[in-house]
Amino acid sequence: MQMPAKLSAGQLYRTCDPQEFGFVTTAELDAPVQAAGQDRAFDAIKFSMGITHQGFNLFALGPNGTGKQTAIMHLLGNIAPEAPTPSDWCYINNFENPGNPLALRLPPGRATTLARDMEHLLEALFTVIPAAFSSEEYQAQEKDIHEKLEERQAETIEELEKKAATSNIALIRTPAGFAFAPMQKGEVIKHEEFMQLKETERVAIEEEIGRLKSAMQSIMAQIPTWQRETQEKIKALNRNIANFAVKPLIAEVRSRYESLEEVTGYLERLENDIIENFDQFLDKEPDPREMFLGISSGRLSHKSPSFNRYRVNVIVDNGKTTGAPIVYEDKPACQNLVGDIEHISQMGTLVTDFTLIKPGALHRANGGYLLIDARRLLGEPLAWEALKKALRTRHIRIESLAQLYSLVSTVSLEPEPIPLTLKVILLGERHLYHLLSIYDPDFSELFKVAADFEDEIAVSTEGKLAYGRMLASIARQDNLRPFDRSAVARVVEHGSRLAGDTSKLTAHLQSISDLAREADYYAAAANRQSVQAEDVQQAIDARILRSSRIQEKIREATLKHSILIDTDSEKSGQINALSVYFTGGQSFGHPGRITATMRLGKGEVIDIEREVDMGGPIHSKGVMILSGFLGARFATDQPLSLSASLVFEQSYSGVEGDSASSAELYALLSALSGVPIRQWLAVTGSVNQFGQVQAIGGVNEKIEGFYDLCKARGLTGKHGVLIPASNIDNLMLRRDVVESVEKGEFSIWPITHVDEGIEILTGIPAGELDEKGLYPPNTINGMVVAKLGEMAEKLRKFSATGESEEE
Amino acid sequence: MLIRHITVALDCSPHSIASLNAAAELASMLQADLTGIFVEDINLLRMADLPFSHEIRIYAHEPEKMEPLQVERSLRRQARTAEEALQRIADKFMIEHTFMVRRGVVPAEVIAAALEADLLVLGRSGRSRNCRKGLGSTARKALAEAKKPLLFMRPGFSTKESPVLVLYDGSEGSRRALEAALELVQPEGTLHLLILGESFEETLLMEKELAREIALPLYAVEYHHLPLKDGTTLARYVRMADSGLLVLSDRMKLPRESVHELINTIDYPVLLV
Repeated sequence: MQMPAKLSAGQLYRTCDPQEFGFVTTAELDAPVQAAGQDRAFDAIKFSMGITHQGFNLFALGPNGTGKQTAIMHLLGNIAPEAPTPSDWCYINNFENPGNPLALRLPPGRATTLARDMEHLLEALFTVIPAAFSSEEYQAQEKDIHEKLEERQAETIEELEKKAATSNIALIRTPAGFAFAPMQKGEVIKHEEFMQLKETERVAIEEEIGRLKSAMQSIMAQIPTWQRETQEKIKALNRNIANFAVKPLIAEVRSRYESLEEVTGYLERLENDIIENFDQFLDKEPDPREMFLGISSGRLSHKSPSFNRYRVNVIVDNGKTTGAPIVYEDKPACQNLVGDIEHISQMGTLVTDFTLIKPGALHRANGGYLLIDARRLLGEPLAWEALKKALRTRHIRIESLAQLYSLVSTVSLEPEPIPLTLKVILLGERHLYHLLSIYDPDFSELFKVAADFEDEIAVSTEGKLAYGRMLASIARQDNLRPFDRSAVARVVEHGSRLAGDTSKLTAHLQSISDLAREADYYAAAANRQSVQAEDVQQAIDARILRSSRIQEKIREATLKHSILIDTDSEKSGQINALSVYFTGGQSFGHPGRITATMRLGKGEVIDIEREVDMGGPIHSKGVMILSGFLGARFATDQPLSLSASLVFEQSYSGVEGDSASSAELYALLSALSGVPIRQWLAVTGSVNQFGQVQAIGGVNEKIEGFYDLCKARGLTGKHGVLIPASNIDNLMLRRDVVESVEKGEFSIWPITHVDEGIEILTGIPAGELDEKGLYPPNTINGMVVAKLGEMAEKLRKFSATGESEEE
Repeated sequence: MLIRHITVALDCSPHSIASLNAAAELASMLQADLTGIFVEDINLLRMADLPFSHEIRIYAHEPEKMEPLQVERSLRRQARTAEEALQRIADKFMIEHTFMVRRGVVPAEVIAAALEADLLVLGRSGRSRNCRKGLGSTARKALAEAKKPLLFMRPGFSTKESPVLVLYDGSEGSRRALEAALELVQPEGTLHLLILGESFEETLLMEKELAREIALPLYAVEYHHLPLKDGTTLARYVRMADSGLLVLSDRMKLPRESVHELINTIDYPVLLV
């Protein structure tokens, strides 16, 4: 078998040559930041923005920090200004039914003008109406009407009085009304004198008084009618005067909105209402009860809330908007999306009117684009349902949450819904998209387009230049020093390291921009005009150092032999496997010891981790694959008469992943063959049932973890790591590791099959089947077969003894 | 015009309340005492005693039988209210006061009670003013028969704050009216002098004489000129001037009937001297 060659230093790190860049520093780059390599997502965004049918809203999915929002904002920044500017919206009083305020659409910028005009009108009414009603002309007319009533009453009564006088009967004014009495010498006749009159005279008087009473009663019955007529006349006069005062003011406002039918209609209704309720503009003594309760502020003013009915509540003002609005709602709570109806406390109860209607993000973004973070949206109670309802009905209906849940029982409003035309762009992680797709049937109806952002981009000239532009943009935006091309190259290399692939760069813009800011800090500390490669390196090193406490603690424990890792001798059934630990935003590698033991059994490999529920399913799967491999290779002619136990020594938390499965197989083969494994080597890689070694993740951290331990103990030149050959493209190792490899102090072997690995680990070839179908005896496989045969024989004998005893 | 005793007729009507206020203001200003007089209307009592007497009310369907006892009670109640009102206002202005209740025909009793007074103050009309044009019966009788000076009040005016309008035509009567007005007009108030004459030259001459007499007044003086005409024209002019208390005499060049007609027609308080 051809053994793999050690990797050369050049294979361990893909350098980026600063000379590739056509600029010296990023100050020369002026293009705006644009995520490179996201063509698929961009096409989806353009498609969603271009299509006008319902439901073609967008979900931009990808990990956080990949610049989804920046990219979308950049794209929209090109499209939105070309689109027509949407209308203004305001709420106005519904004079017929104040509980249902009306929505009024106006051309962009006209809503605030209308609101201002109405405010001025209100102010003017407070001058004009009182002036009209305190004019001499009005006072005279009003007095005239009242006097006419009095005269009419007086004349009628006096006429009757005169008629009565002809019969010597007087009309006497009593405290509460009138009465008739016969007179004698200018005084009412005394009772005795009356009784002395002749019977016929008395009867005549009584009859006459009876007639007069009836006549008086008829007059009395007419008085309320006259009073009503007078009231009507006063009303008509008031209306005329109010009309005269108000009409010119409203006509002036109306002339500015001639072309807007809805506005002129509103002004007409408003005019009628003002004329009908003119008396509210007249200065009157404030009600002391209202003063006490704080409702009235004393003198009447146009600023008083009681005149809100004549105001205009501007909900959307697009006066300063060019093209379609782009709104990012940072807190997508239900009321922040669809708006809210606020209440104010008055006399201990909550009251509201249409001026307390507050717009939401949907109002502001209507006719344009609304960006929302999906996770935040789903975290807000009812917000997701409210958004879906608005998109489904294509109307924004404002409902007070408290009202909806009957938390308050006060008079509330039902504002007229506003038609909705906009594109909603949700930004979120992939799993959210998939969860919504599965569990919410509305989701696929309303968000038909998905823009899937890549996690990484190809290391191409374009990709590298995109990094340069991005650094230029961040530098400009955050007022950082320009980045020298050497620094850009180092950032590109780090981007590859973060991507875990020499042919890729991470698309996680957040990490890159953080690194840029940190590098600028070190450049400033070094008093440099531009950020150099060493500043970037310092930032990377410092970041590692900041999060290396746990890593150092583990290494320290290993160096003190609290954690047993042998890097010097050779041991059978024991191997150094490599694992990766994740702490916050950082990860690091460290070796762990795997041991394998053998005994007679029925061919099972016991994974102790799984037995105690400390192994994850992938790890368990890896161990079961080992049984498959052993069975296929060694148990085709005889049973596997062994039981093997595998364990991660000194592991006190769970183990997951199959990257240690090749190491476990080597430990098993060593234990079976009895050939010791070189402990100065460490292994990573998963294995399949055919013994092929497969790629794993975190290869750089794993190598560096073992390297750091060996270096701390002193590199002897024999230390090294076996990695899957398919991971070569993922290698972006630290400079010191590369240097040690270059000097021959440390080795890295790319392994494609366990047979290669076992030979490197033991120094004994794995062995291949000869023409008789047997493995040569001095090979690992040969020794394993011999051992298995021996164990099978022992088991057979043992079984035979057991059976004869039973007999 | 020396006024030491003022009598005011009270019947609890808005006019009589205005009269009481005006009387109290004047009493306070002139340091006079005040007598309130309430007359129990004998006609009412007699009428209630008649077998067929019924009271017709505006907002009642049927006339209501008048009971003598009820009328007595009602009159006593009114008298009490009037006395309380007098007491209140006298306390406010810190003036000496007495209250009298008389029984009889109201106008005659009022005039009789005022015989000892230097000034009689009464409302232009009584309780039922809505149903009568011009002066009420008591005021009419007082105008015809009572001793002068007489003050006819109505609500909405004050002798203290309103401007004063005097009718002047050079006659003795109008000169007395002017003297009375000068006592009433307040510092920083306005005195309107309506000079009546045959010709403009004549009124102008009178104005010059008056201006000499009223040298350096503490109040504003405004002169108006009007040809000597009938009461109706005068009434129209007084209404136009809208200046408040009208002070005049019924012994002017203007016929007495015209003066009385003027007082009857205009709806302003009038001081007749």
